[in-house]
Amino acid sequence: MWWKLTSVILLLYTILAGFLVPLKSGIERVEPNTARTGEQVTVRFYGYNTFFSRPSEVPIRVWLYYNSSYALMADVVRPINDTILEATFRMPINLPEGKPFVLLNALADHPTEGASILPIAFTLHQTPGSTQIPLDSAWTARPVEKLHPQKGFSFPYQNILYETIRNTYFHVPMWFVLLFLFAASVWYSLKYLRHPETEYDRRAAAYAEVGILFGLMGLASGMVWATYTWGKPWSNDIKQLMTAVALLIYFAYFVLRGSFSDPEKSARLAAVYNVFAFASLIPLLYILPRMFDSLHPGATGNPAFGSQDLDNTMRAVFYPAVVGWTLLGFWIADLRIRFQRLKDRTLGLD
Amino acid sequence: MGIVREKDMNWKNLWPLLHKEVILELRQRYALSGIVLHVVSMVFVVYVASVKPSPPVWNTLFWLIVLFASINAVVKSFIRESGARQLYYYQVVDPATLLLAKMIYNALLLMVLGGLALVAFSLVSNSPVQRWPLFIGVLALGSASFSVAFTFISAIAAKADQSATLVAILSFPVVLPILLTLLRLSVASFAPSTLSGGIWPDVRNLLAVDAILVALVFVLFPYIWRD
Repeated sequence: MWWKLTSVILLLYTILAGFLVPLKSGIERVEPNTARTGEQVTVRFYGYNTFFSRPSEVPIRVWLYYNSSYALMADVVRPINDTILEATFRMPINLPEGKPFVLLNALADHPTEGASILPIAFTLHQTPGSTQIPLDSAWTARPVEKLHPQKGFSFPYQNILYETIRNTYFHVPMWFVLLFLFAASVWYSLKYLRHPETEYDRRAAAYAEVGILFGLMGLASGMVWATYTWGKPWSNDIKQLMTAVALLIYFAYFVLRGSFSDPEKSARLAAVYNVFAFASLIPLLYILPRMFDSLHPGATGNPAFGSQDLDNTMRAVFYPAVVGWTLLGFWIADLRIRFQRLKDRTLGLD
Repeated sequence: MGIVREKDMNWKNLWPLLHKEVILELRQRYALSGIVLHVVSMVFVVYVASVKPSPPVWNTLFWLIVLFASINAVVKSFIRESGARQLYYYQVVDPATLLLAKMIYNALLLMVLGGLALVAFSLVSNSPVQRWPLFIGVLALGSASFSVAFTFISAIAAKADQSATLVAILSFPVVLPILLTLLRLSVASFAPSTLSGGIWPDVRNLLAVDAILVALVFVLFPYIWRD
């Protein structure tokens, strides 16, 4: 009983925190996003969840920076409203390291609301014929320093993801639950092979069933997410294909269960296939996706699911979400098992 | 039970069992010729349908032909002998030996079929293969891998009624990682020379998958066998 209550509480917390906690402020884009050296340019910063016009004692500081040693600070900063800000830069006469062009990150620092960053926001081209040496002192005169942290409990702002970052608490736990359920199913299949009791077979089947349900939910939530981040719900990404195949394995498991008239034979062979299929899931889900390019995080060239993607505020929601969803999965399976047990008893099979 | 059963595998029985498989195959010649005809007709269909397949298409078509010929060749492993004779084997040999004999026999059969498909398919279409030793090696490795997966699955499916359909359904997800790796490896043989280090990760993956399958198959087979 206590774990069902825990599940409900954790999931309520996940849904409330997951949807209500705001995103950190960020910069959506800057306009114009390109210039040449030596020009004077007024750049518009479009913010997200920002409060540019909120009054403060010290003015907002704005930079376009190349790395920690080279940064350009805006001479004039004029907030238009909370989300739009105009900054005038005098572009230097040459570029660091003698490059033909550099990609600059945009940074706006509000004294009370904190700093927001947009990586690779601006391209600065070298005007042909200008001198390379010595480097314009504007690059080093006013470095990025004394930034103000963003206060309060909020989720990270990431370009492309925006608000969909909240799907982390719903999409990712599905895979955790799926693996836990399939592992439980295999565990009971192994137990069945050692001691053929109907109860073990019932459990193995129920966990596999609920595992499929969570797999479908993971696939669906992933497709919704992909619509907004990858541009379309299904892009034949290797992770999507492998997931579909993993589900096919378990559909095959149920086809196999259904193709015997003798329940003992059905249970035994299904148990054998379950163990076999689960073991072949490992190369399917972990080895093969690494061989192909993928858009999915954790694959080649993409950030892994690690410290970069999950900050402390997200952890505070993500881990409870995993536990909550796992308990829910086992709860559903438990109901299935009890229902099936009653059915078997009524039919005199157990 | 009253029967003394050896725990260990009995290597002495391996050769007679293998010999028996060959004899059976030759005795029921219609089965073998059926599969050969199957390969040839699939090659012919490809020949009629597409005049000049590009290398990736050639690769896919070739492995599809091999895949389905393999399923058809292996599916009968456990159904062609009667229940009474199965019971006899159950009493005289250890299940692991029996399975090993069937797997070795099927691997050899699939290698022959793969070679036949390769010759027939290369005759009707320009094969893009440039490094023949590599491609033939991949084919041999593929036949061995298919044999492990299909032999085991056909043992499960033989207990049900519609076994040919079941083998295809049950083995598809298991064979898919193997098939994808094989496709990648054979693409490597289309270029005159690639870095030799380039194929080893794939070969290693394939061998790892095979090792997992072989280990599982030997652990699980006794449970299928006992009826």
